[in-house]
Amino acid sequence: MMDTNFEDETRSMQQAVWKRYRPVVLERLDLLDRAAAAAKGGALSEELHGEATSVAHKLAGSLGMYGYDEGTRIAREIEVLLEDTVPASERLWELAIELRSAVFPVV
Amino acid sequence: MRRILIIDDEEDIREVAALSMETTAGWEILTASSGAEGILLAANSNPLPDAILMDVMMPGMDGPTTFRRMQENPVLVGIPVFLLTAKVQGVDQRRFAGMGFTAVLFKPFNPLTLAGQISEKLGWKD
Repeated sequence: MMDTNFEDETRSMQQAVWKRYRPVVLERLDLLDRAAAAAKGGALSEELHGEATSVAHKLAGSLGMYGYDEGTRIAREIEVLLEDTVPASERLWELAIELRSAVFPVV
Repeated sequence: MRRILIIDDEEDIREVAALSMETTAGWEILTASSGAEGILLAANSNPLPDAILMDVMMPGMDGPTTFRRMQENPVLVGIPVFLLTAKVQGVDQRRFAGMGFTAVLFKPFNPLTLAGQISEKLGWKD
């Protein structure tokens, strides 16, 4: 069983890193929004598609580390969707909205 | 004191992994942001790292390539290497399983249990 002090210290460190890392996450969510909008309009470039796939992968691998397990699940679904040459644009759009809400819920 | 090297291009992953292992296990942590930097850091570390934790997808040299280069280096060949990946699909897991890593750990990891997972795989009791 882990010492409660270590647990508190680890959680506090985790929160401190998250606070600093939030702007990066917001930039990544913005990029996914742009990719989803472009896909919806049938104009998702190869470059944006590649960047969005990479960003979805990074979010899937990091959000759960801060306690956002649902964020990881949605980002992973987006990553899988983006593996298609022509991703399902409506679903991509929905997931991009869901992902932002999961990480930054509107209160 | 155990010395662990983390190789990951994502700064926050390096930071959370390092701080969590320092806090929960009291290990000394070295970090590198690329495979090339990690190889250099490991080879020049005295003492050598007791274990290496490396990401799969990194710009330039990816994790599997970095691992192969380490296996070709007589100084680094015996160090246990853990692959850290956000790829959870079966096809990826099967690909990684045959490469010779000590174990594959999945992202996102739990900062409270990461050091414990490594200790358990290596049979470390301290």
